[in-house]
Amino acid sequence: MLFHFLFTLLVAPLHAAYAGAGPSDYHERLLLRPLPQSALLASFNFRSNTSASAFDQQNFRLFPRSLGQILQHTNTKELHLRFSVGRWDAESWGALPWNGAREGGTGVELWAWLEADSEEQANAQWLTLTNTLSGLFCASLNFIDSTKTIRPVMSFQPEGSHSESSLSSLHLLHGTLPHEVVCTENLTPFLKLLPCKGKAGISSLFDGHKLFDASWQTMSIDVRPVCPADGSECILEMEQTVDMVLDIERSKRPRENPIPRPGKMEDLVCDSSKHYSAYGDACYPLHRSSDPTWSLTEVFGRPIKGSCHLADLSGEGSETICINVPPEREVRVNTSSSFSEHRHEDGFLRCYKLSNGDDFDLELPDQTLLVDTPLPQPHLYAARSINGYGQERGSVQAVINNPSTTSAIDFVYLESLPWFMKPYLHTLHASVSSSSATNATSGAVENPIVETYYRPAVDRHRGTHLELLLSVPPASTLTLTYDFDKAILRYTEYPPDANRGFDVAPAVIRLLSPKEAKASRGAYLRTTSLLLPLPTPDFSMPYNVIILTSTVMALGFGSIFNPLVRRFVAADEVASVGPGGLKGFIRAKFTRLVARFASKGTKSQ
Amino acid sequence: MTLLSSILGLRRDERLLKIPPYLSALLVIVGCVWLCLLPLDEYSRKTYISENALLPGQVHTYFGGSEHNVFRAYRHEVAGLVGKSEQERSQKLGDILRLAGLKVATQKYEYDVSGRKLSGENVYAVLQGPRADATEAVVMIASWKTMNGDINHSGVALLLTLARYMKRWSLWSKDVIFLISGDSREGPQAWVDAYHNAVLPASVEPLTIKSGALQGAVAIEYPAGPWGHRFDKLHILYDGTNGQLSNLDLFNTAVQIASNQMGIGCTLQRMFDHKNTYEERLQTMLRGMVNQGLGHSTGPHSSFIPYHVDAITLQTVGDGWHDEMGLGKVVESLFRSLNNLLEHLHQSFFLYLLLQAKVFVSIGTYLPSAMLVAANFTVTCIALWVQSGRPLNSSKATSAATPGASKEEKMVVIKEKKSVALVPASTLAVVERKMFFPLAYIAAAHFLGLIPFYLFNNSPEHVLRPLFHATTAITLVLPIMTATAVSQFRRPTQQETTLIQCFSLLLLGMFLSALATLNFSLSFIIGVLAVPLSFVRRIPNSTVLPCLMTVILTAVSPMMVATLATQHWHYDVVDLLLQAAQGWHIWGMWTQVVVWLVWFPAWFAGASIVVWSLPGL
Repeated sequence: MLFHFLFTLLVAPLHAAYAGAGPSDYHERLLLRPLPQSALLASFNFRSNTSASAFDQQNFRLFPRSLGQILQHTNTKELHLRFSVGRWDAESWGALPWNGAREGGTGVELWAWLEADSEEQANAQWLTLTNTLSGLFCASLNFIDSTKTIRPVMSFQPEGSHSESSLSSLHLLHGTLPHEVVCTENLTPFLKLLPCKGKAGISSLFDGHKLFDASWQTMSIDVRPVCPADGSECILEMEQTVDMVLDIERSKRPRENPIPRPGKMEDLVCDSSKHYSAYGDACYPLHRSSDPTWSLTEVFGRPIKGSCHLADLSGEGSETICINVPPEREVRVNTSSSFSEHRHEDGFLRCYKLSNGDDFDLELPDQTLLVDTPLPQPHLYAARSINGYGQERGSVQAVINNPSTTSAIDFVYLESLPWFMKPYLHTLHASVSSSSATNATSGAVENPIVETYYRPAVDRHRGTHLELLLSVPPASTLTLTYDFDKAILRYTEYPPDANRGFDVAPAVIRLLSPKEAKASRGAYLRTTSLLLPLPTPDFSMPYNVIILTSTVMALGFGSIFNPLVRRFVAADEVASVGPGGLKGFIRAKFTRLVARFASKGTKSQ
Repeated sequence: MTLLSSILGLRRDERLLKIPPYLSALLVIVGCVWLCLLPLDEYSRKTYISENALLPGQVHTYFGGSEHNVFRAYRHEVAGLVGKSEQERSQKLGDILRLAGLKVATQKYEYDVSGRKLSGENVYAVLQGPRADATEAVVMIASWKTMNGDINHSGVALLLTLARYMKRWSLWSKDVIFLISGDSREGPQAWVDAYHNAVLPASVEPLTIKSGALQGAVAIEYPAGPWGHRFDKLHILYDGTNGQLSNLDLFNTAVQIASNQMGIGCTLQRMFDHKNTYEERLQTMLRGMVNQGLGHSTGPHSSFIPYHVDAITLQTVGDGWHDEMGLGKVVESLFRSLNNLLEHLHQSFFLYLLLQAKVFVSIGTYLPSAMLVAANFTVTCIALWVQSGRPLNSSKATSAATPGASKEEKMVVIKEKKSVALVPASTLAVVERKMFFPLAYIAAAHFLGLIPFYLFNNSPEHVLRPLFHATTAITLVLPIMTATAVSQFRRPTQQETTLIQCFSLLLLGMFLSALATLNFSLSFIIGVLAVPLSFVRRIPNSTVLPCLMTVILTAVSPMMVATLATQHWHYDVVDLLLQAAQGWHIWGMWTQVVVWLVWFPAWFAGASIVVWSLPGL
């Protein structure tokens, strides 16, 4: 409860800053939050606005033209794109930094509201959108075809303000690529969309080496129309976020020597109270009780190169760097120019305002802390796994745990399954087990499934779309299971790369009941993706056969073709050609010339 | 024309019917000789790495330096836990793993087999690959007790040290699961069953933390105590339950890394001093076949193989100069290789016989030997079927008659379209086969096998020894008793006994040839032990031969073979039965099913045939 209170205290001012469109059209903010086990959450947020009229007239200033034109061409009214790697460790790191509203599941996820008259038209526009975005972001988004596209019913709501009349013609389409590996080639186009392009401001911290060495990392792009309540002109807001959890120890390793070799004996902190420590050759390593020392330069490989001059220079929006540490934690600022520090009331949040131009670095020395930063706790924990073994069938088990002792949580569970994974809906079974004995009697839920939306798969045309409205009582665990069959693919349907199995997209969980979840962004949770091994032929066999037959054909063809095109000359004829070499060549030419003249002579006679 | 008639004539030729026994014998001999040829260089092959992604030994290993001090400390900690309660032990081991920054969980399990409670607690920790998406995982196992029952001091300490060391690396593309199982066989089984949510008894807890699909598992057994012990060689175990083997690539990778990168010799099948001679290769192969044939769990890795998770166990043996850091580097390098895997291990062989650490025979080369042995039963079966359809006295008459008399035999002209053949009338005579009694007898024999099968698997430990002796005695006299009992009502005709043997051999040949593709060794061993069954006959009016056959059949009866084998290897028969019961209840082992429902009925039918030819029955 205390955590929740502190969390609201702590995050409220942050979020208030984003609530309305400020005077300026570009905002950026970095939130740093040290996490347990020497991890560090760095949450970058960039927002740029453009007025609807300027957008319609293709008058792009802060809004990137490349993306804007794609949106206009495909009639996309609202767009959400996620690139993620790794997984969020909710047990140690607490709730997601944006409550899941800006974080994606493993791989790439895209959903958008397209304006179209019919479903076919929406599909065609969606195809254009995925293909153009694929080019823009160097991702395989073009592989989001009809088999990977669903039209969610309950899981997503438009974030932006759309008029009632336009809502009816908006189509929501959602596609995922769980196997897409996000890497530097996706970061570069992402940076290009920013006004300061990674040259100044907080985006200057982006270094592919550090960013993609993170334990968890997600990038998102959200475009939505925002119409102020006072009736003034609507604006189009583009929000880009990059969230990552860095391992401080790992990030601090120098680039020349990134190998984590065993440390020197002197560096080990040993427990000297052990009876064997007297022998001198044994060391029971102790856990470091103090917070590790780190600085922005060490963790990100470079300092912040001043502020982006396009951003707000006054007001709360100008506090571009915030760090979430206990009040007694010492934070040194290394910069040659002026800066201002602002501590928020509860003391757990400090924000800094940067000046133009000069390098800015934060340094946190080694310090033993008495109070830990309270971490916001998640409302739900979710884990999903494939059970069973063999090539024929299996079952999926999703375990969703509600840690709250007081409030039940309603949520929507969305599964988008590939067509070759064929679930049996009659085996869908949800059971609730209470972790505390007292709740077992009071919160006896007969069937936690309140509502089911199911669209079965069609082989090779569309995947399964399953949406469930569920409710989990306080302090209990909901186990959702269903069985499935594995289809046998045609051999051309296997991807050309090494076949480790097929990835199943993460399940999306949308929280409905707690108050915070009612915000326009919503609160989400995503499980990890699954690996679905399918019966796979040994592809080396056909290739062996192809290679062997090709060799045989080449040999056969060569030996037949060779005598066919060769001119055979008898041995005695060869001798008449005479000696080789230059001398022979000249002599042959000469004799031919002589012969020609001789023949002319005979003709004339 | 002439060809057809000669074939038609040959079909019922007396001489043709004399061939099958010799053919059977030939098949058996060729099958056995075939097996003995396998260790020769001409028939075996050098092992090689088939999966290019593995790249064994291509990485630098950095495990060493100050990690050695940590290892020693952990070894002292492990030694301090000996004799402590299970809960305290799990707590401490979990704390060490938790301190390394891993997610730790425990699993309690309890099995009730033969009136004994086999219980324990598994501690495991998941190292989440920093860039991994939780879809794949590899497992490192160190059971608390080794297969020999010693405390796995250094093995557990090495696992703890490696967990701490590997956590610092960011290159893991798969999750690494560190499992300290309560014991070496039931613990891993309980864990892997729970991991795949297989049907579990209520006494096995489900797992609270899971990761992705398992891609491989490596178990470490290094029982050296708190003061260490340098070892000479690595003994690699690779056979799983029911004779399933782990992928040869995994074994090869381990051998390659240990011998080429670290200079540690590798042995297998307890051939600790292998000089690569023919005899030693043959012995290695036969030991491997016995292990495979028994189908028992040979180590912590065995339980993983039925789930298509390739696994091996590394045991340290002998006195030498290799220390724990060398073993640690082998394991580190092995996990780096597994980490490279893009696909599930599938490239190399799953069915092979190893003759030495670097020499193997693939299934295509060795399978014919078991198939030939199995085929001998089918050949005899066909011969018996033909024989059963012939009138008994006519054949006797022809054989007894003088050559002159046979010339006066009635000849029949057979016309088929334009073909004409002249054959003796006697060969065309057909006797109606009375099938009911033989079929019922064979069916009853198979159901009979269920009784000892049930009794051995469900009796408490203290009953097992008397039960075994009683079963031995009963099964040995059972054919006589049955024969006497049946003869009281109706003495079976010669044709009926022939048919009984025919059906019994038909089933035996069928089962064994099918089994040869699943568990070659079991099929071969049972096939060889059952060879006398295809040569026994009901011989009336003779005393010596039936007695001799009875003696031979007694010697190769399943119970006598079990008795003799346990005596030869100085193994307690109760242990064998306990293992068998555990196998059936915990590991899902099918060897007993084969023994009681394939071998025993065949033996029983064969013994009955012989007993009926004894005088007075």
